[in-house]
Amino acid sequence: METLRSALDFSDFPRIDLIVAGGIAASIVIFPLIPHSAFAMATMIQFFIFSLYGMGWNTIGGYGGQVDLGKAQYVGIGAYTTTVMLIRWDVPFWISMPIGMCFAVIWSFIIGYPLFKLKGHYFAIATIATALVLQDIFEVWNFVGAARGLEISPVKYPSPDFLRLIFKEDVYYYYVILGFFFLGILYINWFRKSRLGYQLRSIRDNEDLARSLGINVHWAKIKTYAIATAFVSMAGSFHACYIKSIEPEDTMSLDLSILIALMAMLGGAGSLWGPIIGAAVLIPLKSYLAEWLGARVGLVGIDLIIYALIIMVISAFEPRGIWGILEKVRRRKGR
Amino acid sequence: MALLEVHQLRKNFGGLRANDNISFEVQQGELVGLIGPNGAGKTTLFNNISGLHPVSAGRIMFDGKDITSLKAHDVARLGLARTFQVYVASGDLTVTENVMVGCFMRTRSRARARARAEGILAELNLQEVGESLVSELPVAAQKRVTMATALGSDPKLLLLDEVAAGLNPSEIEDIMKSIRYIHNDLGITVMLIEHVMELVMKVSYRVMVLDYGRKIADGDPESIVRDRNVIKAYLGERFVREHEEALA
Repeated sequence: METLRSALDFSDFPRIDLIVAGGIAASIVIFPLIPHSAFAMATMIQFFIFSLYGMGWNTIGGYGGQVDLGKAQYVGIGAYTTTVMLIRWDVPFWISMPIGMCFAVIWSFIIGYPLFKLKGHYFAIATIATALVLQDIFEVWNFVGAARGLEISPVKYPSPDFLRLIFKEDVYYYYVILGFFFLGILYINWFRKSRLGYQLRSIRDNEDLARSLGINVHWAKIKTYAIATAFVSMAGSFHACYIKSIEPEDTMSLDLSILIALMAMLGGAGSLWGPIIGAAVLIPLKSYLAEWLGARVGLVGIDLIIYALIIMVISAFEPRGIWGILEKVRRRKGR
Repeated sequence: MALLEVHQLRKNFGGLRANDNISFEVQQGELVGLIGPNGAGKTTLFNNISGLHPVSAGRIMFDGKDITSLKAHDVARLGLARTFQVYVASGDLTVTENVMVGCFMRTRSRARARARAEGILAELNLQEVGESLVSELPVAAQKRVTMATALGSDPKLLLLDEVAAGLNPSEIEDIMKSIRYIHNDLGITVMLIEHVMELVMKVSYRVMVLDYGRKIADGDPESIVRDRNVIKAYLGERFVREHEEALA
């Protein structure tokens, strides 16, 4: 009961934020009802998926301050579990998704235990390494389609198939992921005010202080990493049903890992709205850049240049991202 | 049985012997000052006792248990809290939330942690700054927040590392009041490292002196001030003269 109340309690935000958030929430709920292009619809769904990736990243990366550059491996675990189980055994999404989460969490414990003995940059590098290793394994593993990947053939399933989450029309995907998106926000809102949430912020600021307050730093990080992992794997399962075609080079790539981390950092690591703001900026930008500059003008790879610029700007001016800038401006005005 | 027993403690950093053959006891209810020149090994000793750094040799007993090789968080759970010399303020946590992190050691409930934190802040006269960020406070208040945070964990023994450094006389008065409150009213045994002699001499029942990693004196404040070794190593003749005059 206290948990539910805490999840629904946003009262520590200023009223103006809640009004803005409520307005945005209402408009994304009615978005499919107003005329829109297929491109806009696809971008919105991508935005929700990446917001969820970012929220997951934000638990360990933002609140915990452990920069994780290997989140794509958990996207992969979720996506592959759901796809393989559907193709081979016709297992519905609602069963394969939690199984994927379990696999992801188990894997996160296996690599989290040694990984969290490392600190700072060493940790970040190690997460990249584990993700690359897993990607390499999947590229040669025939059972999961190796480097060719897997495809879900939508013609086999009459749309709308809510059990397997196979739809012809994007609007169904839209509302399913919108539900996950809202639940994700509520979970993070609870998490940031939970015992673990506070302990993590203490760990991020000073590990010795955290230890002296009875916090088992290593274990707290592993637990949080598992939570982050579960989030990402869940969204990964959905992602697979949505794009219906997965291959290690896409689904588990370093590009994807970096994009997830970058989004959360751009929006504001360690804040509730940060990853969402980051996704709202980067996902349309990415789609637009790929669609226009990449396909029409032939400037392939320009998105990477822009990401690099963003990283430099964030680290130079405001490590807490767009949300950090907003907070700063507000505090200054408040005086 | 003493609350804290340290037997022949040694700490090496590579080839450097930071502390050697340090033995002492702290009884339940004592208030012990720990003084000595910079680099004497005082903070190193605290780091050893609180389990942050492993000892090279020796044994530490706390509350009847051998804590020599326990991890810092397990030591803390037994009721041994500490503050740090250089406090890194939690960027986006308020004062109350900082203290709550301490309280979370004994409870999982957010409501209970908050209530307890607010109670402690009120006891230390910090209730007005509860919603401020620690980084916005003056140093003196920050130091008292670190004490409040440590108190949140409901300790039996509190190690204070230079809580009065860099404060002006009236702020030192406040800190002294807080220390006396913690010791007398809350009944918590206190051990404190301090360079502000007037504070050490006024509040401590007993003073220990470290120099070059060795314990060179241990006794009540008056005998410490007269100890030739301590005067030579740390206090200096001038301090003693002024101290005598102040007493006279």
